Amino acid sequence: MPTPILQVKDLHTEFNTEGGVVKAVDGVSFDLYPGESLGIVGESGSGKSITALSILRLVPDPGRVVSGQVLFHNQDLLQISGEEIREIRGRDIAMIFQDPQSSLNPVLRTGFQIDEAMLAHDKATKKEAHVRTIELLRRVRIPAPETRVKDFPHQLSGGMRQRAMIAMGLANAPSILIADEPTTALDVTVQAQILELLGDLNRDLGTAIVMITHNMGVVAGLCSRVLVMYAGQIVEQGPVEQIFENPQHPYTWSLLRSIPRVDALRHERLRSIEGLAPDLLHPPAGCRFHPRCPFRIEKCFTDEPRLEEVALGQHAACWVTMERARKEMDADNLIDIRPGAGSGLRKGEITE
Amino acid sequence: MATAAAIITRPTTLQQASLWSDAWRRLRRNRLALVSSIYLVLLVAVALVALVHTPYSYREVGVATPYSGPSGANWFGADILGRDVLSRLMVGAQISLIVGVGTQILVLAVGVPIGLLAGYYRGPLDTAVSFIINVFYGIPDLLVAMILLLLLGPSLNNIIIAIVATRWMDMARLVRGQTLSLREREFIEAARASGAKPLKILFGHILPNSLGPIIVQATFGVPAAILFEAFLSFLGVGVQPPTPSWGSMAADGLAAIRIAPHMVIFPSIALSLTLMAFNFLGDGLRDALDPRMKR
Amino acid sequence: MLTRGSLIYIGQRLVLIVFTVLVVSSIVFLGIHRLPGDALFNEHLHGTQYALLLHHYGLDRPLWDQYTSFLSGLLLHGDLGESLVNRGVPITPLVLRELTVSVEIGLFALIFTIGLGMLLGVVAAIRQNTWVDYLLTTTSVIGYSMPSFVVATFLLLVFAVWLDNLTQGNFYFQIGWTGRYGTIGEIWLPAFALGFPYASIVARLTRASMLEVIRQDYIRTARAKGLRETVIMVRHALRNALIPVITILGPLVIGIITGGVIIENIFGIPGLGKEFANSILNRDYNIVIGVFTMYAAMIGVANLGVDLAYVVIDPRIRY
Repeated sequence: MPTPILQVKDLHTEFNTEGGVVKAVDGVSFDLYPGESLGIVGESGSGKSITALSILRLVPDPGRVVSGQVLFHNQDLLQISGEEIREIRGRDIAMIFQDPQSSLNPVLRTGFQIDEAMLAHDKATKKEAHVRTIELLRRVRIPAPETRVKDFPHQLSGGMRQRAMIAMGLANAPSILIADEPTTALDVTVQAQILELLGDLNRDLGTAIVMITHNMGVVAGLCSRVLVMYAGQIVEQGPVEQIFENPQHPYTWSLLRSIPRVDALRHERLRSIEGLAPDLLHPPAGCRFHPRCPFRIEKCFTDEPRLEEVALGQHAACWVTMERARKEMDADNLIDIRPGAGSGLRKGEITE
Repeated sequence: MATAAAIITRPTTLQQASLWSDAWRRLRRNRLALVSSIYLVLLVAVALVALVHTPYSYREVGVATPYSGPSGANWFGADILGRDVLSRLMVGAQISLIVGVGTQILVLAVGVPIGLLAGYYRGPLDTAVSFIINVFYGIPDLLVAMILLLLLGPSLNNIIIAIVATRWMDMARLVRGQTLSLREREFIEAARASGAKPLKILFGHILPNSLGPIIVQATFGVPAAILFEAFLSFLGVGVQPPTPSWGSMAADGLAAIRIAPHMVIFPSIALSLTLMAFNFLGDGLRDALDPRMKR
Repeated sequence: MLTRGSLIYIGQRLVLIVFTVLVVSSIVFLGIHRLPGDALFNEHLHGTQYALLLHHYGLDRPLWDQYTSFLSGLLLHGDLGESLVNRGVPITPLVLRELTVSVEIGLFALIFTIGLGMLLGVVAAIRQNTWVDYLLTTTSVIGYSMPSFVVATFLLLVFAVWLDNLTQGNFYFQIGWTGRYGTIGEIWLPAFALGFPYASIVARLTRASMLEVIRQDYIRTARAKGLRETVIMVRHALRNALIPVITILGPLVIGIITGGVIIENIFGIPGLGKEFANSILNRDYNIVIGVFTMYAAMIGVANLGVDLAYVVIDPRIRY
């Protein structure tokens, strides 16, 4: 196994809100290997974006990283000085964001904003940066880059803006590119193009990509490994094919099941996950997913499960796991998937 | 059972009840606004008291030595003609409040209907109104008011007329803008579709929904008008002696600043406090009525 | 940026300014000339002297005649006529001279206003919710609540009266204006008094604007790129935060012009404002019309300047 270039260990990030403390990231640990494409998937509020922001110490007020380590090149990014983390941002670890319309400064020319990424780290002179920017724009498949360089963001289409952002991210050839839902704000066809682009760049440049998304399809198309997050914690992780074929955590299983299939029968109902998204101010006791889990047992109400290896390279945090649910609760043939339907524990503690 | 038409054309009072009580709650928490309101209530009280009683007559000359400073007999001292400054300040409060509030009431009476009609009907009325607004946008209201007073002659009534004449356009523009954006909304379309008369739409639907910004504008208009009057009187084209205006008192006082600074200090303080109070109150109202504004 | 399109636009605006000036001065002219009395009336002249003067000023001609000769004089020669009170004094050179004085003090006030206001606003935004912020926000409300003559009074009390007493007459602010252009020593106090209320407004607006801008996504992107905080604030945040400030620049200039009338009167500065106030009190109608015309032109040019500033700051605006 090659050594990881990034190691996140027991990361905790909290938000001090009027209502109380929100534990947005509650004990997240994972490794990232060189050149890898890792997906982080989860619903809104699962903590996936905040995890990424925490790595670069970009968490906005009133949030703070309260404990944990982020090891990169033998340094703990959470402990180094402000000047040092500033140098790493955009140079060794780059991040691009969801909405390219609002993520680019409307009063500055696009080319300049890409030049800036290089100039900020003294990677080039103004002239060199300008030349390289055009090259980068070409690399991200923007036609006529020489003229596009002078355009303002509002003069570009959505897809072009996102490509420009990718170019900005790759300007200094970072070893890691974190992409926070880069395709969510785009049309489906443009989405596919951007994903293809990212995949090619990952292969050609060897840049590790961390892809944050709520869309399992995106993960399937691009990533080799995936982390599934729920309520601020990782509930399952492993190679993409394995997870898709044999998810072990009931949440992952429910997620995959809820994707509508083209070949489904007409009368089949859409399957959703019962219940509401967890309240992060007062997370449920025990396993955070238990209020919505069809396969919960008594232990799930009281004890928090840890990530354990359930197959080669695959970890899940569950007292039951799908393997047991299939054997003992006939999971695959369940019609009623309401909480506790499989295990018979329908009533139980309501959260809080 | 109420018909659909009746339900749709009924003004949306239920919604408003919660908006206002919400705003009221927010306003009450604003300490500056509260203090300002107390001050203003006191000011009104002083002005009302002045109708029946002031320590001395505001026009009586020689009740104290001219230029004398604050003393037991004259709490705020005497002015150039030996008149009691406190009494003159009290009467001046009446002037300021009448001008401030009176002008805004008239501005509302003139500007709101014009704005509503122009915004709703568009057409030649709107073109005319917009033209007037745009032409006068670039002209300093003080100068126009001075010319108007030149033509009409200085008096309290004419001052009010001059101020209203220069300020109604801001209100009309605001209301017009609100009307323009509201008339496209679905609930107006629904009202129209169910046969509501235009007047009803204007006053029953559009106006209630624009009340917030209108109130804020009017509240800020009061200190603007008071300031306006103070400026005019300061320059000598406003209220004429012996009627005291805080502005003209300050002008007289400024001339004697070296020997009798109290003459200019007290009217200045009165003006500043009053303007500040209205501005804080206006701020509070605006924050209370617009929940999107964060501190 | 200096494209054919923008030059055409500037040209159009200049024509519009001339047009507006003519309309405005016409309104004032016609409005005033409907009055029975005038400056000459005030001097209680009778008989032939009166008739001679009336004739001299053309006031005995039909209104339409007077109006057309006024218009043609203005358009063709830039001639604003002759003062009614001070015989034989041509108005145009007088008014032009005073215009430069008013512009001088106005510019000073404007630069001070915008400069100080913006600086304080940015500081307050960056240090939001600290004592610096609270101090600045409260002071700014006080600032724009105080009429300019109150500010002037306060400054005079400190620098002219109190300082005078303190230093036994050696070191104090002297009200006065020597020569054609005021010196810094003469100008700073009136300019400060003139600009202070507006500086407060600008400070508040800049603060609010900066606060919003700092929350924007593109600021987060700039940080993620590894830019220095100062660079982010100045190059990324401030330029965007300025946009709403430019919006109020028009009314701000008008406010400075209005305030200038008061300040010039207090400090005896020989500018348009003082002239205007005097001519109103003296009923010197010709000067009233002349000064007002000059003001209209000044404002037209100022508004054009503001609109052009808009284009420079925000590239999304193109005319």
